[in-house]
Amino acid sequence: MKKIININFHSRVIPIEESAYEILKQYIESLRKYFANEEGRDEIISDIENRFAELFSDRLKKDTTCITDDDVNATIASMGRPEDFDQEEIPTNTASDQNSNQSQSTSQQTQQAQTYHYSSGRGRLYRNADDKIIGGVCSGLANYFGIDPVVLRIVFVLLFGALFWVYFLLWIVVPSQSLQSHVTKRLYRSADDKIIAGVCGGLSSYFNIDVWIPRLIFVLPLIIVLISGTFHAMWWNWDFGFAPRIISSSLGSTLFISYIILWIAVPVATTSAEKLEMRGERVDLNSIRNTVKEDMENLRTKAEKWGNEFKETAQQFGNRAKEFGQTASGQAKNFTTEAGYAAKRSSNGFFHVIGVLIKAFFLFVGSMIAIALFFTLLSLIFAGVGLMPLKNFLLDGFWENFYAWGVLVLFLGIPVVAFLTWIIRRIMRVRSQSRFLGFTFGTLWVLGLICLICLVASIGTDFKSYRIVSDEIPMTQPAHDRLIVKVSEPSIQFEGFWWIHSDANGWDINDDSLKLSNVKIRVQKSDDAFYHILKIRTSFGRNRKNAEDRAKQLEYDANFKDSVLDIGSGFSINPQNKFRGQQIIMEIQVPENKKIRFDRSVLGKLNPFHVRFYNRSRWNDDDVDIDFERDEYFDWDTNVDYIMNKSGNLESTLKKDSEDDNQNDKTEKNDGYRYKKNNDTITSKKNKDSIKSKARKEQTEETPKNTTEKQTKAIGNNDESEHAFSPVYSLAELI
Amino acid sequence: MRKGILEFCILSIIKRGEAYPSDIVEEMKAANLNIFEGTLYPLLTRLKNANMLTYRWVESNSGPPRKYFSLTEKGNEFYKELEATWNELANAVNALAHKTTGLAEQENQ
Repeated sequence: MKKIININFHSRVIPIEESAYEILKQYIESLRKYFANEEGRDEIISDIENRFAELFSDRLKKDTTCITDDDVNATIASMGRPEDFDQEEIPTNTASDQNSNQSQSTSQQTQQAQTYHYSSGRGRLYRNADDKIIGGVCSGLANYFGIDPVVLRIVFVLLFGALFWVYFLLWIVVPSQSLQSHVTKRLYRSADDKIIAGVCGGLSSYFNIDVWIPRLIFVLPLIIVLISGTFHAMWWNWDFGFAPRIISSSLGSTLFISYIILWIAVPVATTSAEKLEMRGERVDLNSIRNTVKEDMENLRTKAEKWGNEFKETAQQFGNRAKEFGQTASGQAKNFTTEAGYAAKRSSNGFFHVIGVLIKAFFLFVGSMIAIALFFTLLSLIFAGVGLMPLKNFLLDGFWENFYAWGVLVLFLGIPVVAFLTWIIRRIMRVRSQSRFLGFTFGTLWVLGLICLICLVASIGTDFKSYRIVSDEIPMTQPAHDRLIVKVSEPSIQFEGFWWIHSDANGWDINDDSLKLSNVKIRVQKSDDAFYHILKIRTSFGRNRKNAEDRAKQLEYDANFKDSVLDIGSGFSINPQNKFRGQQIIMEIQVPENKKIRFDRSVLGKLNPFHVRFYNRSRWNDDDVDIDFERDEYFDWDTNVDYIMNKSGNLESTLKKDSEDDNQNDKTEKNDGYRYKKNNDTITSKKNKDSIKSKARKEQTEETPKNTTEKQTKAIGNNDESEHAFSPVYSLAELI
Repeated sequence: MRKGILEFCILSIIKRGEAYPSDIVEEMKAANLNIFEGTLYPLLTRLKNANMLTYRWVESNSGPPRKYFSLTEKGNEFYKELEATWNELANAVNALAHKTTGLAEQENQ
């Protein structure tokens, strides 16, 4: 007794025995595999199917009511099996090199013969043509060593830098073969075995480990927090307290983010076929039947507890599940075979090779970016904890904090999450869900962008006004007409946090102060016969008053004693004051023909920076150019006496003769300052400074005539707005 | 069987007029050349893709419409080439096979 099904075979209705249908299907599948590299594969198969349909119709017209196993087998026998095709053609391969046309098709045949010729795969290393993401190297290796390809894939992705060439070499050297031994495994979230979202359950079945292992890994940081928390409660200043804190904060957040990303990226296994794929069992009818049976049995045992009524419904449900499972398996099979052919066909022909290469390239670049982003995120989180105090010095008010979080989470975080989602899906062969995810990511990212714009705008308003507060430091005139400038304080250094030691120079931060070495020395000719020292504090602000307040709150030490001016290596800003581009300028006015000397200790301790806000175009106020650069202000030799000359330039007492010509030249052109090295950019900067101070001191000096382009522009801008060139610390440098 | 020869055979059958694949198989079987139909279809498709063959659909009363193949200009040229090659080969083989004098005798001459 056999079940007969009706199939629509090339628009003919053909009654066929179910088993015969299976044979036919398998045969067509084998043809598909055999002709996978053939250009007109679909046409060939369609022709053959057509012929089958014709033969079956003939058969049905005669005496039978349906197509039986024997009919199918007979037809297949006349049509020939792929193995027969090989036997017919292989012996001809060797001698057909003369005719180009022939040799081409022959090589195709050889290739087909190779790919079709299945082997267990053990013993020789092949790339796996059936299960591949790029070149099938990983799954081939995995097959060779008898391990899970996913493990190798993860190793290759993690050690991408080192193993990139290995992969490429293997890709080129190792031949491709269809290794049937593989089992397609996909990462799903487990619906049956879940606590939060089933991520751990899915991972455990994917990696074939017990479910408690991933769970423990994800929960570990939490446990450490709890334990260390208890310890913290017991001893207030427990020295080892921060070691767990590191682990819990950095590792914990990483794992937390990983869990969330997996949650987003990985779909739940709901159908029987998906459950099988999750466990890595081969998806075919029998295995699905088994799973469905399992499901049914589970349901039955449950149902029995509740009674017979429920049992019936459960069975019905089971039947429905079975049907559903079967259709799903059909789909799954179609999908995998289609994907397989696409991959196989892509190895055919030069352009396909290029296609694969491009695909691989993008995949590699993509994964590289993803990994980079991931580590950036990690380091951001990591550094973020240490630099958390910084935000107190930058962000003013609730909204700025809000925007900053928006930028961090949405603008920076979302692309990382999206990229990782993509990579995980590629590697784990997760089947994609809806496009909804992409839209969500996009929307959130745009929100983050809006936050960024708001944040910049909000902080930008605090840079509208620029004020300077200038105080003269009381001093006695130095002996021997020589003033010595030194910085006895050690340079400001960021010590790092926890066990991380940082080399960052020029700034330091802790919970209640931000220290900066944005200090600049400016030397000018004194109006009278005395030395004068001015401490100029500058700051930006929302308005003049605000800027002035900020400037006044700067704490900076500069003492004069025994002809030595000892200035501090930096100033500190308190969290209430916020960082708004504050800078200290030490202006030393040297009388003509008197000397100044810089102590070696000045070197490397002061790090002034420029940030410039200026409108490049006159008609469009929105076109603001922000520019920051290191202020190469310090261009004097240390431990050398300089003399203030008539025109307000410092002359070295050492190389006076050799510099003379050059200096005369420059003096004519440039009535500003002149230093030992007459570097254009330096001079131009000095000029800018000088212009500012001129304006302030109402000195009359000629505007430099021969200036660089940059300088002209700068001066033009300077005319436009009073505070166009105020030196400001760059935020970027801080971070 | 050497593939060039198979193609030659098929083309020579089609050359005589439009042909249906199973007819071709029958024809070859009659000539004592046994091939599988499955081998024929890819060959025909390849030749068709190489513009050697063209086909038209013909409705049949016993099943789906059939593809009838015929030769194109290019196919004709290719057939001539194949024919020339075949004749060359056949002549060469024949010449060798029908030689009666031994190698030693040839040297002596």
